[in-house]
Amino acid sequence: MTSGTSAADGLPARSRGVIALLEENCTVCMLCARECPDWCIYIESHQEPVPGAEYGGGDPARAPAGRGRQRVRNVLDRFAIDFSLCMYCGICVEACPYDALFWSPEFSYAETDIAALTHEQGRLREWMWTVPPPPQHEEGAPPPGEARGQVP
Amino acid sequence: MAPEEIIAAVSAGLPPQVRCEPDHRGVMLRVPPGHWLAALAFARERLDCDFFDWLTAVDEADDGFSVVVHVYSLAGRHHVLLATALPRPSPRLPTATGIYRGAAWHERETHEMFGIGFDGHPHLAPLLLPDGFEGHPLRKDFVLAARAAKEWPGVKEPGGRGVPRARRPGPPHVPRGWGP
Amino acid sequence: MAAVDLPLPGVAGGPGTGPGPGVITVDAGGGCSLRVFDAGLACCGVEVAAALRRGGALAAATAGHRLNVFVVAGTVTDKLAPYVLKAFQDTPRPRRVLSFGACANSGGPYWDSYCVTKGVDQFIPVDAYVPGCPPRPEALLAGLALVLRAGE
Repeated sequence: MTSGTSAADGLPARSRGVIALLEENCTVCMLCARECPDWCIYIESHQEPVPGAEYGGGDPARAPAGRGRQRVRNVLDRFAIDFSLCMYCGICVEACPYDALFWSPEFSYAETDIAALTHEQGRLREWMWTVPPPPQHEEGAPPPGEARGQVP
Repeated sequence: MAPEEIIAAVSAGLPPQVRCEPDHRGVMLRVPPGHWLAALAFARERLDCDFFDWLTAVDEADDGFSVVVHVYSLAGRHHVLLATALPRPSPRLPTATGIYRGAAWHERETHEMFGIGFDGHPHLAPLLLPDGFEGHPLRKDFVLAARAAKEWPGVKEPGGRGVPRARRPGPPHVPRGWGP
Repeated sequence: MAAVDLPLPGVAGGPGTGPGPGVITVDAGGGCSLRVFDAGLACCGVEVAAALRRGGALAAATAGHRLNVFVVAGTVTDKLAPYVLKAFQDTPRPRRVLSFGACANSGGPYWDSYCVTKGVDQFIPVDAYVPGCPPRPEALLAGLALVLRAGE
């Protein structure tokens, strides 16, 4: 879905229409699911070993027996947002420490079946293509932390 | 009227058990239940508080319930809060509708939400709750059953790791022992 | 100042006395009429009102259909539910039901309340669900287009 005319053209910056997920940034920290006041984010995951991150670099001679462990990472099995419950508060987008959730101004996704209002991973990724670039700072706004030397 | 004048009038006109202190907006009168109607009548007639704003209750856990009334004087432009403390086992208070008719619906709502009885109220039927509703929802010990019935999505651990039940994070505001 | 003797407040109308408070009937022109049950909350009510004011867009969305659309907007409490049901039953056939906003879809932000019906589809059949909290007026028009298409 590339940019073009969409139902959401001409809306103000940062309009809250739907939430998009960038799966690559998600570390399955579960903060969004835990902070959501509506309990409408459903996450399931499992752990997988990180290839190439065995203790000692994969060389048995360098890995003393009984010390250290295989590094693992979380892999998303399911990330779903139930938009029939969602109140578009944005707590999940703000809580995410890894910028995996984004606001998109698209609003035209009414359904005839309420179960179809629960958007799964694939559909949440589709919404990513409708996320606009962040708007410019307003005039008179204080400069961002990076410009003030507060954020390295 | 300035808060000091109100405090002076109260100490002159009401029994000493009624304590009057200034608060951020006006004055707050702490009234024992036995002097409730006298204090309300005093506020209406002597303090000129002709505007009845609201009546509600606060669940103070072990300290019982407190019923709070906010009245305002349009001419004198001062706010008066009246609060009384009721025991938890059977909280009862005489109705304020004899002095402020507008308290009728407020007392109905307070009665159905907290279980506080208002003696002499003309029609103490439930106002907002459907027929057949059991319990008093705004009491602190009333559990929201919907939260207990739905499984909290946050109970899963990152990576699906197993965590001993005792250390598992619980959903907010669901007491231990309740749950799907 | 002595206490003034005022009558105790009561409820005018009630069930069976006509459309009653909260139900607005809008003739969209061309044979399609909307019956909007605005269940008290201002947020969805304002958006529906904004949509209804766009008479031209409404007529365009409903052109060519001879239907009665029953729109439920706002939070339906358990006490209000019988009146919503009565208003739905009073809607003449052919009729469709549009659930507008998160509260009407599933209880929305108040799903865990002791007195809120978790979705108007608990007691009336819903043909389309418009997600949002509140949805934009344009979302109502898109939802109308969906519910009219679904009827064919």
